[in-house]
Amino acid sequence: MSSSFIQPRKKTVLTQEFKLLISFFSMSIFMLVSTYIFLVYKNHSFVQTKAEMVQKRLNLDIEISNSKKKIKYLKDEVSLSNEIYKHNALLKESITNLFDLIPSRITLSEALLLENGLKLYGITPNKDIYDFMLQAPLRSIFSKTYTSFYPADNGWVRFVSTNYIDPSDEEIKKVVVDE
Amino acid sequence: MSSISRPHIYLLIVTLFLLIFVFVFSFELLIPKGKEYRILSVDMKKEIRKFRQYKDYSDTKLGIVQELQQKNRVIIEAFNYNFNPEKFQKQYKEYFSKLQISPKTELKNEKEFKVYEVNATSQINSPKSFYNFLDAVNKGDWIISVNFPIKFKRKEDGISSSFTMKVYKIDKKLALHGIKNNLLNN
Repeated sequence: MSSSFIQPRKKTVLTQEFKLLISFFSMSIFMLVSTYIFLVYKNHSFVQTKAEMVQKRLNLDIEISNSKKKIKYLKDEVSLSNEIYKHNALLKESITNLFDLIPSRITLSEALLLENGLKLYGITPNKDIYDFMLQAPLRSIFSKTYTSFYPADNGWVRFVSTNYIDPSDEEIKKVVVDE
Repeated sequence: MSSISRPHIYLLIVTLFLLIFVFVFSFELLIPKGKEYRILSVDMKKEIRKFRQYKDYSDTKLGIVQELQQKNRVIIEAFNYNFNPEKFQKQYKEYFSKLQISPKTELKNEKEFKVYEVNATSQINSPKSFYNFLDAVNKGDWIISVNFPIKFKRKEDGISSSFTMKVYKIDKKLALHGIKNNLLNN
Protein backbone atom coordinates (compact mmCIF):
# COMPACT_ATOMS: atom_id res chain seq x y z
CA MET A 1 0.00 0.00 0.00
CA SER A 2 1.31 3.34 -0.92
CA SER A 3 1.04 6.42 1.25
CA SER A 4 1.13 8.92 -1.62
CA PHE A 5 -0.54 9.28 -4.90
CA ILE A 6 2.50 10.64 -6.70
CA GLN A 7 5.69 8.88 -7.57
CA PRO A 8 8.48 9.90 -5.10
CA ARG A 9 11.04 12.39 -6.50
CA LYS A 10 14.52 11.04 -6.88
CA LYS A 11 16.79 13.04 -4.56
CA THR A 12 19.98 14.39 -6.15
CA VAL A 13 22.81 16.79 -5.21
CA LEU A 14 22.39 18.68 -8.51
CA THR A 15 19.50 20.77 -7.49
CA GLN A 16 18.31 23.77 -9.52
CA GLU A 17 20.19 26.19 -7.23
CA PHE A 18 23.34 24.13 -7.48
CA LYS A 19 23.21 24.13 -11.28
CA LEU A 20 22.67 27.88 -11.28
CA LEU A 21 25.61 28.38 -8.96
CA ILE A 22 27.86 26.14 -11.05
CA SER A 23 26.93 27.91 -14.27
CA PHE A 24 27.53 31.31 -12.69
CA PHE A 25 30.93 30.32 -11.35
CA SER A 26 31.88 28.52 -14.55
CA MET A 27 31.26 31.68 -16.53
CA SER A 28 33.19 33.79 -14.04
CA ILE A 29 36.12 31.37 -13.92
CA PHE A 30 36.12 31.07 -17.70
CA MET A 31 36.34 34.86 -18.04
CA LEU A 32 39.08 35.11 -15.42
CA VAL A 33 41.14 32.33 -16.98
CA SER A 34 40.73 33.70 -20.49
CA THR A 35 41.82 37.16 -19.28
CA TYR A 36 44.81 35.53 -17.61
CA ILE A 37 45.72 33.64 -20.81
CA PHE A 38 45.35 36.85 -22.81
CA LEU A 39 47.67 38.68 -20.40
CA VAL A 40 50.25 35.88 -20.46
CA TYR A 41 50.19 35.86 -24.26
CA LYS A 42 50.40 39.66 -24.47
CA ASN A 43 53.25 39.89 -21.98
CA HIS A 44 55.18 37.22 -23.83
CA SER A 45 54.59 39.00 -27.12
CA PHE A 46 55.70 42.34 -25.56
CA VAL A 47 58.94 40.79 -24.32
CA GLN A 48 59.61 39.25 -27.75
CA THR A 49 58.75 42.43 -29.67
CA LYS A 50 60.88 44.52 -27.31
CA ALA A 51 63.87 42.22 -27.86
CA GLU A 52 63.35 42.53 -31.64
CA MET A 53 63.07 46.31 -31.34
CA VAL A 54 66.29 46.52 -29.33
CA GLN A 55 68.07 44.42 -31.99
CA LYS A 56 66.66 46.62 -34.76
CA ARG A 57 67.74 49.73 -32.84
CA LEU A 58 71.26 48.33 -32.53
CA ASN A 59 71.31 47.65 -36.29
CA LEU A 60 70.10 51.19 -36.89
CA ASP A 61 72.87 52.43 -34.62
CA ILE A 62 75.41 50.62 -36.82
CA GLU A 63 73.74 52.06 -39.95
CA ILE A 64 73.90 55.55 -38.47
CA SER A 65 77.63 55.26 -37.71
CA ASN A 66 78.19 53.90 -41.23
CA SER A 67 76.27 56.80 -42.72
CA LYS A 68 78.21 59.29 -40.57
CA LYS A 69 81.47 57.75 -41.75
CA LYS A 70 80.29 57.85 -45.37
CA ILE A 71 79.27 61.49 -45.02
CA LYS A 72 82.73 62.27 -43.66
CA TYR A 73 84.44 60.49 -46.58
CA LEU A 74 82.20 62.13 -49.14
CA LYS A 75 82.78 65.55 -47.60
CA ASP A 76 86.53 64.86 -47.52
CA GLU A 77 86.42 63.87 -51.20
CA VAL A 78 84.47 66.97 -52.17
CA SER A 79 86.65 69.28 -50.12
CA LEU A 80 89.90 67.75 -51.48
CA SER A 81 88.67 67.91 -55.07
CA ASN A 82 87.59 71.54 -54.60
CA GLU A 83 91.02 72.34 -53.14
CA ILE A 84 92.71 70.70 -56.13
CA TYR A 85 90.46 72.47 -58.65
CA LYS A 86 91.19 75.76 -56.89
CA HIS A 87 94.91 74.99 -56.87
CA ASN A 88 94.89 74.28 -60.64
CA ALA A 89 92.92 77.47 -61.32
CA LEU A 90 95.36 79.50 -59.21
CA LEU A 91 98.27 77.89 -61.02
CA LYS A 92 96.77 78.90 -64.34
CA GLU A 93 96.33 82.44 -63.07
CA SER A 94 99.96 82.56 -61.83
CA ILE A 95 101.32 81.37 -65.18
CA THR A 96 99.09 83.85 -67.04
CA ASN A 97 100.31 86.66 -64.80
CA LEU A 98 103.92 85.60 -65.32
CA PHE A 99 103.65 85.70 -69.10
CA ASP A 100 101.73 88.99 -68.95
CA LEU A 101 104.57 90.39 -66.87
CA ILE A 102 107.13 89.89 -69.63
CA PRO A 103 107.36 93.03 -71.79
CA SER A 104 107.33 92.57 -75.54
CA ARG A 105 110.90 93.87 -75.88
CA ILE A 106 112.28 91.13 -73.68
CA THR A 107 112.32 87.55 -74.94
CA LEU A 108 112.27 84.60 -72.58
CA SER A 109 114.14 81.44 -73.48
CA GLU A 110 113.29 79.48 -70.36
CA ALA A 111 111.10 79.84 -67.30
CA LEU A 112 111.20 77.62 -64.25
CA LEU A 113 108.31 78.01 -61.81
CA LEU A 114 109.07 76.71 -58.34
CA GLU A 115 107.00 76.35 -55.19
CA ASN A 116 108.32 79.62 -53.78
CA GLY A 117 110.37 81.04 -56.58
CA LEU A 118 110.83 81.77 -60.23
CA LYS A 119 113.85 81.45 -62.48
CA LEU A 120 113.86 83.25 -65.82
CA TYR A 121 116.33 82.99 -68.66
CA GLY A 122 116.07 85.45 -71.50
CA ILE A 123 117.48 88.13 -73.68
CA THR A 124 116.99 91.90 -73.45
CA PRO A 125 118.11 94.73 -75.78
CA ASN A 126 119.94 96.31 -72.84
CA LYS A 127 120.20 96.24 -69.05
CA ASP A 128 118.09 99.40 -68.54
CA ILE A 129 115.09 97.97 -70.33
CA TYR A 130 115.34 94.89 -68.15
CA ASP A 131 115.69 96.98 -64.97
CA PHE A 132 112.69 99.20 -65.72
CA MET A 133 110.37 96.78 -67.41
CA LEU A 134 110.98 93.45 -65.70
CA GLN A 135 113.12 93.90 -62.63
CA ALA A 136 110.75 96.42 -61.02
CA PRO A 137 107.62 94.27 -61.18
CA LEU A 138 109.61 91.19 -60.11
CA ARG A 139 110.89 93.08 -57.06
CA SER A 140 107.35 93.99 -56.08
CA ILE A 141 106.34 90.31 -56.09
CA PHE A 142 109.42 88.51 -54.75
CA SER A 143 111.34 89.28 -51.60
CA LYS A 144 114.71 88.25 -53.04
CA THR A 145 115.72 88.90 -56.63
CA TYR A 146 119.14 88.17 -58.13
CA THR A 147 120.03 88.83 -61.74
CA SER A 148 123.16 88.11 -63.68
CA PHE A 149 123.86 89.42 -67.18
CA TYR A 150 126.18 88.32 -69.92
CA PRO A 151 126.53 89.58 -73.48
CA ALA A 152 124.83 87.85 -76.36
CA ASP A 153 126.27 87.42 -79.87
CA ASN A 154 123.95 90.00 -81.45
CA GLY A 155 124.93 92.77 -79.01
CA TRP A 156 121.92 92.22 -76.76
CA VAL A 157 122.25 91.09 -73.17
CA ARG A 158 121.35 87.64 -71.86
CA PHE A 159 120.05 87.48 -68.32
CA VAL A 160 119.32 84.90 -65.65
CA SER A 161 116.87 86.14 -63.04
CA THR A 162 116.40 84.16 -59.82
CA ASN A 163 113.54 85.25 -57.59
CA TYR A 164 112.40 83.88 -54.24
CA ILE A 165 109.58 84.52 -51.85
CA ASP A 166 110.75 84.48 -48.24
CA PRO A 167 108.11 82.51 -46.30
CA SER A 168 108.58 84.81 -43.27
CA ASP A 169 107.79 87.85 -45.48
CA GLU A 170 104.61 86.11 -46.60
CA GLU A 171 103.65 85.60 -42.96
CA ILE A 172 104.21 89.32 -42.26
CA LYS A 173 102.13 90.28 -45.32
CA LYS A 174 99.35 87.96 -44.14
CA VAL A 175 99.32 89.49 -40.65
CA VAL A 176 99.22 93.03 -42.11
CA VAL A 177 96.33 92.09 -44.42
CA ASP A 178 94.46 90.40 -41.57
CA GLU A 179 94.87 93.46 -39.34
CA MET B 1 17.36 18.75 14.19
CA SER B 2 19.09 21.38 12.10
CA SER B 3 16.93 23.70 10.02
CA ILE B 4 19.44 23.73 7.05
CA SER B 5 19.01 20.86 4.74
CA ARG B 6 21.89 18.78 3.44
CA PRO B 7 21.74 20.08 -0.18
CA HIS B 8 21.93 23.62 1.15
CA ILE B 9 25.03 22.74 3.14
CA TYR B 10 26.65 21.34 -0.02
CA LEU B 11 25.63 24.45 -1.88
CA LEU B 12 27.21 26.66 0.76
CA ILE B 13 30.44 24.67 0.81
CA VAL B 14 30.78 24.72 -2.99
CA THR B 15 29.98 28.45 -3.09
CA LEU B 16 32.62 29.16 -0.46
CA PHE B 17 35.16 26.98 -2.23
CA LEU B 18 34.54 28.65 -5.60
CA LEU B 19 34.62 32.11 -4.06
CA ILE B 20 37.97 31.36 -2.42
CA PHE B 21 39.27 30.00 -5.76
CA VAL B 22 38.17 33.13 -7.60
CA PHE B 23 39.79 35.41 -5.01
CA VAL B 24 43.03 33.47 -4.84
CA PHE B 25 43.22 33.24 -8.64
CA SER B 26 42.55 36.94 -9.01
CA PHE B 27 44.96 38.19 -6.36
CA GLU B 28 47.75 35.69 -6.88
CA LEU B 29 47.80 35.39 -10.66
CA LEU B 30 45.54 37.77 -12.52
CA ILE B 31 46.34 41.06 -10.79
CA PRO B 32 50.19 40.57 -10.84
CA LYS B 33 49.96 39.64 -14.53
CA GLY B 34 47.86 42.75 -15.12
CA LYS B 35 50.47 44.91 -13.39
CA GLU B 36 53.23 43.26 -15.44
CA TYR B 37 51.18 43.95 -18.58
CA ARG B 38 50.84 47.62 -17.68
CA ILE B 39 54.61 48.00 -17.04
CA LEU B 40 55.52 46.11 -20.23
CA SER B 41 53.06 48.14 -22.25
CA VAL B 42 54.61 51.43 -21.01
CA ASP B 43 58.09 50.01 -21.72
CA MET B 44 56.98 49.00 -25.19
CA LYS B 45 55.67 52.47 -25.95
CA LYS B 46 58.99 53.95 -24.81
CA GLU B 47 60.91 51.48 -26.96
CA ILE B 48 58.73 52.26 -30.00
CA ARG B 49 59.29 56.00 -29.49
CA LYS B 50 63.05 55.44 -29.16
CA PHE B 51 63.11 53.21 -32.25
CA ARG B 52 61.20 55.84 -34.28
CA GLN B 53 63.69 58.50 -33.23
CA TYR B 54 66.58 56.26 -34.33
CA LYS B 55 64.80 55.43 -37.59
CA ASP B 56 64.15 59.11 -38.35
CA TYR B 57 67.76 59.99 -37.56
CA SER B 58 69.06 57.11 -39.66
CA ASP B 59 66.78 58.11 -42.56
CA THR B 60 68.03 61.70 -42.33
CA LYS B 61 71.64 60.55 -42.45
CA LEU B 62 70.93 58.18 -45.35
CA GLY B 63 69.23 61.06 -47.14
CA ILE B 64 72.34 63.21 -46.68
CA VAL B 65 74.54 60.38 -48.01
CA GLN B 66 72.32 59.94 -51.08
CA GLU B 67 72.16 63.69 -51.69
CA LEU B 68 75.95 64.00 -51.44
CA GLN B 69 76.41 60.99 -53.74
CA GLN B 70 74.01 62.39 -56.33
CA LYS B 71 75.40 65.91 -56.15
CA ASN B 72 79.05 64.84 -56.39
CA ARG B 73 78.73 61.78 -58.62
CA VAL B 74 81.46 62.96 -61.01
CA ILE B 75 83.94 63.64 -58.19
CA ILE B 76 83.23 60.28 -56.51
CA GLU B 77 83.72 58.42 -59.80
CA ALA B 78 86.93 60.35 -60.45
CA PHE B 79 88.30 59.31 -57.05
CA ASN B 80 87.53 55.66 -57.86
CA TYR B 81 89.11 55.70 -61.30
CA ASN B 82 92.48 54.02 -61.84
CA PHE B 83 95.03 56.27 -63.50
CA ASN B 84 95.91 55.08 -66.96
CA PRO B 85 98.78 56.96 -68.72
CA GLU B 86 97.64 55.85 -72.22
CA LYS B 87 94.12 57.04 -71.61
CA PHE B 88 95.44 60.28 -70.13
CA GLN B 89 97.58 60.90 -73.23
CA LYS B 90 94.62 60.15 -75.49
CA GLN B 91 92.33 62.44 -73.53
CA TYR B 92 94.67 65.44 -73.41
CA LYS B 93 96.68 65.11 -76.61
CA GLU B 94 94.72 67.95 -78.25
CA TYR B 95 96.41 70.46 -75.90
CA PHE B 96 99.97 69.34 -76.70
CA SER B 97 101.88 68.68 -79.86
CA LYS B 98 103.82 66.01 -77.93
CA LEU B 99 103.03 64.46 -74.56
CA GLN B 100 104.95 61.86 -72.61
CA ILE B 101 103.92 60.50 -69.23
CA SER B 102 106.26 58.70 -66.85
CA PRO B 103 105.06 55.62 -64.96
CA LYS B 104 103.26 56.52 -61.76
CA THR B 105 105.09 56.35 -58.45
CA GLU B 106 103.14 55.90 -55.25
CA LEU B 107 103.59 58.59 -52.61
CA LYS B 108 102.57 58.59 -48.95
CA ASN B 109 98.81 58.40 -48.39
CA GLU B 110 97.02 61.61 -47.56
CA LYS B 111 94.26 60.67 -45.08
CA GLU B 112 92.20 57.97 -46.85
CA PHE B 113 93.55 58.89 -50.30
CA LYS B 114 96.24 57.15 -52.30
CA VAL B 115 98.53 59.62 -54.03
CA TYR B 116 100.53 58.89 -57.18
CA GLU B 117 103.08 61.17 -58.78
CA VAL B 118 103.43 61.36 -62.52
CA ASN B 119 105.94 63.41 -64.49
CA ALA B 120 104.95 64.82 -67.84
CA THR B 121 107.14 66.19 -70.59
CA SER B 122 105.38 67.88 -73.41
CA GLN B 123 105.56 70.32 -76.22
CA ILE B 124 103.07 73.14 -76.70
CA ASN B 125 102.56 75.72 -79.41
CA SER B 126 101.72 78.56 -77.04
CA PRO B 127 101.15 79.08 -73.30
CA LYS B 128 97.41 79.25 -74.07
CA SER B 129 97.43 75.48 -74.76
CA PHE B 130 98.76 74.94 -71.26
CA TYR B 131 96.03 77.18 -69.79
CA ASN B 132 93.43 75.17 -71.67
CA PHE B 133 94.99 71.96 -70.38
CA LEU B 134 94.73 73.25 -66.79
CA ASP B 135 91.05 74.04 -67.38
CA ALA B 136 90.44 70.62 -68.93
CA VAL B 137 92.24 68.71 -66.17
CA ASN B 138 89.64 69.99 -63.70
CA LYS B 139 86.90 68.39 -65.78
CA GLY B 140 88.73 65.12 -66.51
CA ASP B 141 88.26 61.51 -65.41
CA TRP B 142 90.78 61.74 -62.55
CA ILE B 143 91.44 64.08 -59.66
CA ILE B 144 94.75 65.60 -60.70
CA SER B 145 96.71 68.43 -59.20
CA VAL B 146 99.39 69.98 -61.43
CA ASN B 147 102.40 70.85 -59.32
CA PHE B 148 105.69 72.71 -59.29
CA PRO B 149 108.32 72.66 -60.61
CA ILE B 150 106.96 73.64 -64.02
CA LYS B 151 109.50 74.32 -66.70
CA PHE B 152 108.94 76.07 -70.05
CA LYS B 153 111.74 76.17 -72.57
CA ARG B 154 111.66 77.87 -75.94
CA LYS B 155 112.49 75.52 -78.83
CA GLU B 156 112.59 76.09 -82.57
CA ASP B 157 109.30 74.27 -83.09
CA GLY B 158 107.45 75.51 -80.03
CA ILE B 159 107.74 75.44 -76.26
CA SER B 160 108.79 72.36 -74.39
CA SER B 161 107.27 72.01 -70.96
CA SER B 162 107.70 69.66 -68.08
CA PHE B 163 105.62 69.41 -64.94
CA THR B 164 104.62 67.00 -62.22
CA MET B 165 101.11 65.88 -61.42
CA LYS B 166 99.62 64.30 -58.33
CA VAL B 167 96.81 61.84 -58.98
CA TYR B 168 94.43 61.16 -56.06
CA LYS B 169 92.48 57.95 -55.59
CA ILE B 170 90.33 56.83 -52.68
CA ASP B 171 91.93 54.01 -50.69
CA LYS B 172 88.95 51.67 -50.26
CA LYS B 173 90.82 49.49 -47.75
CA LEU B 174 91.52 52.47 -45.54
CA ALA B 175 87.96 53.73 -45.89
CA LEU B 176 86.59 50.28 -44.98
CA HIS B 177 89.03 50.03 -42.09
CA GLY B 178 87.73 53.35 -40.84
CA ILE B 179 84.15 52.08 -40.95
CA LYS B 180 85.12 48.84 -39.14
CA ASN B 181 86.94 50.78 -36.44
CA ASN B 182 83.91 52.94 -36.05
CA LEU B 183 81.73 49.90 -35.59
CA LEU B 184 84.05 48.38 -33.00
CA ASN B 185 84.09 51.62 -31.06
CA ASN B 186 80.31 51.55 -30.95
